[in-house]
Amino acid sequence: MKKLLLATAIMSIASVASIPLAHADAKWDTVTDKAKGQTVYFNAWGGSDNINKYVEWAGAEVKKRYDVNVELVKITDAGEVVKRIKTEKDAGRNNGGSVDMMWVNGENFRTLKTNGLLFGPWAESIPSWQFVDTNKPVRKDFSETTDGLEAPWGTAQLTFIADKNVVAEPPRSGKALLAFATKNPGRVSYPKPPNFHGTTFVKQLLSEMIEDPALLTKPVDKDSFNKVSQPLWDYLDKLHPVAWREGKAFPANNAEMHQKLADGELKLSLTFNPNDAANLVAKEQLPPTTYSFGFTNGTIGNVHFLAIPFNAKAKEGAQVFANFLLSPEAQVRKADITVWGDPSVLDASKLTTAQQAVFNKRAPGSLDEVNPTLAEPHATWVEALEAEWLKRYGSQ
Amino acid sequence: MLKRTLPSLPACLAMLGIALTLAPLIPGLLWVLAPALNVDTWQALVQDNQFASALLSTLGSAVGSTLLALVCASLVTVMLYPGRGWLLVQRQLPVFLAFPHIAFAIGIAFLIAPSGWLARGLANLLEWSSPPQWISIRDPYAISLTLTMAIKETWFLLWIMATLLGEQAISRQITLANSLGYSRAQVWVSALFPQLLPRMGWPLVAVLAYSLSVVDMAVILGPSTPPTLAVLSWQWLTDPNEMTQAKGAAAALCLMLLLGLLILAGRGIWWGIKTLYKNPSGVRQRGLAFKSRRLFGLSVFVPGWLSLAILLLWSVAGGWFFPRLFPASLSLKSFSNADFEPMFTALWLGAATVMIALPLTLAWLEWGSRKHHGWLYAPLILPSLPIAAAQYHVLLAINLDSTAVGVIWSHLTWTFPYMLLVLVGPYYSFDTRYLCTAQALGHSRFSACLSIKWPMLIRPILAAMAVGFAVSVAQYLPTLFSGGGRFATVTTEAVALSAGGNRRVLAVQSLLQTALPLCAFMLAIGLTAWYARNRQGLK
Repeated sequence: MKKLLLATAIMSIASVASIPLAHADAKWDTVTDKAKGQTVYFNAWGGSDNINKYVEWAGAEVKKRYDVNVELVKITDAGEVVKRIKTEKDAGRNNGGSVDMMWVNGENFRTLKTNGLLFGPWAESIPSWQFVDTNKPVRKDFSETTDGLEAPWGTAQLTFIADKNVVAEPPRSGKALLAFATKNPGRVSYPKPPNFHGTTFVKQLLSEMIEDPALLTKPVDKDSFNKVSQPLWDYLDKLHPVAWREGKAFPANNAEMHQKLADGELKLSLTFNPNDAANLVAKEQLPPTTYSFGFTNGTIGNVHFLAIPFNAKAKEGAQVFANFLLSPEAQVRKADITVWGDPSVLDASKLTTAQQAVFNKRAPGSLDEVNPTLAEPHATWVEALEAEWLKRYGSQ
Repeated sequence: MLKRTLPSLPACLAMLGIALTLAPLIPGLLWVLAPALNVDTWQALVQDNQFASALLSTLGSAVGSTLLALVCASLVTVMLYPGRGWLLVQRQLPVFLAFPHIAFAIGIAFLIAPSGWLARGLANLLEWSSPPQWISIRDPYAISLTLTMAIKETWFLLWIMATLLGEQAISRQITLANSLGYSRAQVWVSALFPQLLPRMGWPLVAVLAYSLSVVDMAVILGPSTPPTLAVLSWQWLTDPNEMTQAKGAAAALCLMLLLGLLILAGRGIWWGIKTLYKNPSGVRQRGLAFKSRRLFGLSVFVPGWLSLAILLLWSVAGGWFFPRLFPASLSLKSFSNADFEPMFTALWLGAATVMIALPLTLAWLEWGSRKHHGWLYAPLILPSLPIAAAQYHVLLAINLDSTAVGVIWSHLTWTFPYMLLVLVGPYYSFDTRYLCTAQALGHSRFSACLSIKWPMLIRPILAAMAVGFAVSVAQYLPTLFSGGGRFATVTTEAVALSAGGNRRVLAVQSLLQTALPLCAFMLAIGLTAWYARNRQGLK
C-alpha cells in the first residue's frame, strides 16, 4: 500500500512536472495546426541574391513540412515597412495587415515597440528557443529589451574589407584610419548617414572617441549631446578633407563601397557580415586577394531579429516560419559560407560536431581573426547622431 | 427615343471612369498633405540646412533639362524633317522611348563614372592603375543628372513631334512653303513652330513635372549632399518620425508650387514671344541650301546606344576589374540565374491596365469636355510620391490594398493621363467632316467612331497603348505602396537589387525592364503597318 502510495505520489509529481512541457507542446501544436495553409508575407531587405535564395529555400522547407506558404517581399529599407504598419494602424486596420513577419533591429524595432505595433511576446515560447545562446545579446536590441517581441536571427559585427595587393597593413583603430586616409587622400569614405552602415561607422568612431563610454548605454541626453560628441566631430572634420571627393559626397551604401573597392576608387570598404567579402569574392565582384579585418580594440556588433506586427494575418504561420529559421538545421545552413555566411545565434555546444564544423568554415576573403565586440549604443543615439551629422555635413 | 439616349450613355461612362480613377485621390491627397498645413512644419523645412541647396539643384536640373530637351528636339527636327534622316530617327525612336529612365541612368553611370568605360579607355591610353578622382556623377550642381534627363526627354519630345508631323496637314504645308521658295529655317520658324509649340504645351509640362519630381534617376546620378528636393521629400515621407513626415509633405507641396510658378513663367514667355513676333514678314530670306546634317542630328542617339551596349556587356561579364576595357570572361550565368517572374507580373499588370485605360481614354476624348481637361493631367504634374501615398490610403480605407485590383487601379492614375496626352493632339485635329458624313448617312455617333474615326486614328491609338504599357511597367512607388510590396515587377526588382550593387544582376534586370516596353512599341508599329498595308493615308 505504501509502495502504491509512493508510486502514485511519484507519478502525480511526474505528471505535474511534465504538465508545463506537455502544455507547451499542446500550445505549439495548436499554433502549427492553425498555421496550416497560411501564407506568410515576409518583408526583408532584398538587396542580396544569396539571402534571397536562402529565404526561398527556407520557405520551400516549411511548405513541405508544415504546409505554410512563405512569400518574400523584398524591401530596400525596413523603415518603410515600419511606416506602412503605422499607417495601417492609423487607418484602423487591426487585423489582416499586409506584413506577417519582418527582418528588423535597432531604432526600427524601438519605433515598433514604443508604438505598440508588435504582436507578442512569442519569441521565447517557440520550440527552437532552447537552442539560442542567451549569453549573446539576444534579449537586448540596441540597449532596448526585446521582451519576447522579436526572435534573434543572426549576429553581425562591423568588419572592414581591403585588398592585400593594395593595402598590406590595414589601420587597426579610428586613429590609424585617419593616418591611413591622410597618406591615401581621396581613397577612404563611408556610406552617407542615415544609411545603416554609415551610421554604424559613425557610432564606431564615437565609441572610440567618447570620454565616458558608459553614457552610450543610456538614452541620449539632449543637453550634453553636443559636448560629449565633440571629439567625434573634431575627428570627422579632419577626416573629410582627405576623404573620397573631399568629404563633399559619400557613397549611398556599403554595396557601392564594395564596388568602388573593386574598381580601386576606394581602398577600404565595410560590412556587417564577417563573411560578406568571401561571398563577393566567390561571385567575382571582388578580387581573390581581398581580406577582412577589424579594429584591435573591438568593433560594434549587434543581433538582427524577426518580428511579427500586431495586425499580421498569419501570426501562427509566421511563428512556425520563425521557429524553423531558428532551428539548428536552418541556422547551420545560414552560417555556411557557401550559402550566406551569416553567423548563428545558437549555442554551438547544443549542436552536433558536424554542425559545429560548418561554423568554422573559411573561404578567401572571410574574417580570419577574432576582435572584441562593442555593444551598440542605445537606440536613441542613432537619431541624434544622424540629425547632427546631416546638420554638419548634409549640405556642402 | 432610344437614339437620343444612346450617345449620353458613353458620355456617362466617360465621366464614371474618370470619377473612379481620379476622384478618390482627392481625399487621399488631403490626408497625406494635411500635416504640411502647419506653420511650424514650413519653418522646420526652411530652417533645414539641406533645403536651400536642394531647391536650387532641383530647379536647375528640372528647368535645364526641359529647355535643353526642347532645344535639342527642335534642332534635330529642323535639320532632318523631312528627309531620310527623319526616317532613321523614327526607326530608332521606339527603342529609346521604351528605354526606362532607370535603366538608361544606370547605363550612363556605367559609362561616365570614374571607374566607367570612358575612364577605363583613358586609363589604358594613359596607363593609370586606379580610377581618376573625377566628379562625373552625383556632382553637386546636378550637371550629369540634367544632361542625362535632357537626352532622355529629347527622345520623348522628338516622338511627340513625330506624331504631330505625321499628320497630313503639316507635311502639305512644308511642300507648299518650299514650293513658294522659302528656306527651311524660315518655314520652321514662321510657319511650323507657331503651330507645333502650343500643341506641345502639355507634353512639355509633363517633362518638367517629371524632372522636378524624379526620384530614381536622381538617386543614381543626382547630388547627394544634399540630394534634390524630390529625393529629400521621399526620404522624409517614408520616415517613421511624424515631424519628418510632415516636412516631407511640405516639400511635396513645395514641388507642386514650384511647378505652378514655372508653368506661369513659361506661359508668360510664350505670350511675350507671340506679341513680339506677331507679323512675320513674307520676305524670302536667304537660307542655307538644302543640306543634310544627318550625322549631327542622329548623334542624339549615341548616348542611348552606348548605354545599351554597356548594360549588355555587364549582363554577360565574368570578373571585370579596373582598368580592363572588356571583361576577362563572358558567361550567360547572370541570365540563367535571373528571375523571370517579375517580368511576367509586369506584363499582365501592364496589359490589364492598358485594356481598362483605352476605353476610358476614347470615351473621354469623344464625349468628355474639350475645354476643361487640363486637370486630368494632374497625376503627371504632381510628384508621384504623395499620389502613391494617397492611393494607398484610399485602398486601405476600402480594404483593397495588396490586391491586383488595387495595383491596376493605382497604375491607371498615370497610364490614363499619359494615353490621353498622346492621343489628344491627333484626336482633336481629326477632320470632323468624316464624322459628320457618317452621321448624315445614318450612323450613330458611337458606330461612326467605331467604324470610321477610330480605325483612321489607329496609329496614335496603338502608340498610346504602347506608351500606356510602358508607363505601367515603369511604376515603382504605386506598385510598392498599393501592392503592399507583394507584386514584384521588373521595376521593383531592379530598384531593390540596385541597393545590393551587383552590376551583372542589375544589368540583366535593367535589360528585362527595357525589353517589355520595347516589345510593346514594336508591336504597335508592326500592327499599324499591317493594318495600313493597303491604306496609303494611314502610313
